[in-house]
Amino acid sequence: MEVEKGKTAKYLKAKRPVPKDVTEQLKSFTKSKKLLLNTLMESEKTVPQLAEELKLPGDEVLFQLMTLLKYGLVETGEIDDMDEYFYYKIKSNGKDKS
Amino acid sequence: MPGQMKILEYDVLVIGGGIAGGESALNLANLGYNVLLVEKELSIGGKMILLSKVFPTLDCGACITTPKISEIARHPNITIFTGAEIRIITKKGEHLFEAIVSQNPRYVNIDDCTGCQLCEEACPVSVIDEYQYGLVGRKAAYIPFSIASPRAAAIDIENCTLCGACERVCPTQCIDFTQTVEEFLVKVKSVVVATGFELFDPLKIPRYGYDKFKNVTTAMHMERQLSPTRPFNSILRPGDGKLPDNIAYVLCAGSRDKSVGNPICSQVCCMYSIKQAQLLMGALPMADVTIYYLHIRAFGKGFNEFYAQSQDMGVEFIKGKIGKITEKENGNLILRYEDIEKGKVTEAEHDMVVLSIGLLPNQGISDVFDNETLQLDPFHFVDQSDILASPAKTSIEGVFVAGTASGPMDIPDSILSGGAASAETTSYLRRAAL
Ligand SMILES: Cc1cc2nc3c(=O)[nH]c(=O)nc-3n(C[C@H](O)[C@H](O)[C@H](O)COP(=O)(O)OP(=O)(O)OC[C@H]3O[C@@H](n4cnc5c(N)ncnc54)[C@H](O)[C@@H]3O)c2cc1C
Ligand code: SF4
Repeated sequence: MEVEKGKTAKYLKAKRPVPKDVTEQLKSFTKSKKLLLNTLMESEKTVPQLAEELKLPGDEVLFQLMTLLKYGLVETGEIDDMDEYFYYKIKSNGKDKS
Repeated sequence: MPGQMKILEYDVLVIGGGIAGGESALNLANLGYNVLLVEKELSIGGKMILLSKVFPTLDCGACITTPKISEIARHPNITIFTGAEIRIITKKGEHLFEAIVSQNPRYVNIDDCTGCQLCEEACPVSVIDEYQYGLVGRKAAYIPFSIASPRAAAIDIENCTLCGACERVCPTQCIDFTQTVEEFLVKVKSVVVATGFELFDPLKIPRYGYDKFKNVTTAMHMERQLSPTRPFNSILRPGDGKLPDNIAYVLCAGSRDKSVGNPICSQVCCMYSIKQAQLLMGALPMADVTIYYLHIRAFGKGFNEFYAQSQDMGVEFIKGKIGKITEKENGNLILRYEDIEKGKVTEAEHDMVVLSIGLLPNQGISDVFDNETLQLDPFHFVDQSDILASPAKTSIEGVFVAGTASGPMDIPDSILSGGAASAETTSYLRRAAL
């Protein structure tokens, strides 16, 4: 079989369908990413503020937020007046390339 | 089937690319032996490459590991298989072992990958990053971590949607979804087992509330948080992203405890906790750090001075046995403990608790030996059959053990043990040549 370099995903797709939970997981990540970025679009926020607004546990928000920070979509702002929580904001030049 | 497999021949097979296996491989290679180093993860370096700074010198872990790792990776006498597994090892005779090694597909030709990370950017999938111990996500097309060796991408096929986005952006066209498992028949004269240790699972002590209370974390998570390649923007408590200012360490979590099946001391947890306490005080100058201990094991060179230094810095040490941890509504934790010196049960509040989890045997490697038994000790580490005269010797002639595969130990001792394994292997190989 002559393999077309740079377009090999299709060969594996033909042999092995993508499991449903994998596509579900992608949907769920895309949804939570949008939600988080939209909420931060309004103003910069701390983890507890995001958790309250999104009605999500703080640990989940931190995980998602730090993941977006790693992917270059979010950046860290100032720390609050009590020196307890950082504010996070949309990265000014952060582009989602995925 | 062996008949269809590619046959490879080396002098020594080293199983496990942590610091102990790496040291053994390097010494043997420097003596002119050809070594195959088989690592099951996508990078060599073991746990050490993921540590922050190391006790007792507080040298940066990555700065010590990286030059050694690159020396191993570049050595002409060392062949490295990462993402590979040993299926079976059969002793065929004096100075002859045959191993079947499976090379799992990485779906990336590592020789062509430049580590540009364009595939990572393009990949839409995000899953838990195991190299950051679950603290953040990573893509399905990913470089395991920034100082990984090889620093090449891999595709996590279990989580890949096969959308092909990574392939479309890859400038060198190194992604190849047609790769499959490759099996090799490897003939060697000797084997070094350097498969390291596993971490204790704190879920086994429900009274500590790990996972239920999100601000109870482990020392390995704290290592990542303290590392320059940390998962967060700062040291944060995992439950809500607060900057912690009153941190407790619980020593012997899963060590010296028959009830969890691990009656022995893990050797390094006292010292790594003291190290982390010092690093935390440097990173968070306003923070209080309290270490709850039963005994402090500071037995190595410079360790007692390192312990004293932490006391001088203001780390509080309480000889206390933790009964239970409960959570307050604000995420703070109440530690109920027996204050051994004062002889009473008391409580203390902290905003984050770090469990100093123990080192457990990495079981399983003994199962790959086919016609010989690799004896384990009563605690399931590889048995050192002649510990005083020949510490690397195992129950199988020609098979040697290095590092924490034989029991808990720190980095200097793992390197020494790797050195001993290479010396004993050399002497065994020389006998073959006589
Ligand atoms: C939280 C924490 C902090 C620490 N801090 C310090 C410190 O500051 N200073 C210090 O001196 N020590 C420290 N240590 C101890 C240190 O991590 C160990 O001494 C060292 O990592 C042991 O190296 P090793 O090569 O024996 O094992 P490992 O690092 O466990 O390496 C073993 C390797 O073998 C691979 N492997 C396992 N099974 C197989 C298989 N079947 N086939 C192929 N490959 C396999 C593994 O993937 C791994 O890469 C710390 C430990 C912990 C847990
Ligand atoms: S093919 Fe898989 S790894 Fe590549 S971008 Fe798509 S989901 Fe990610």
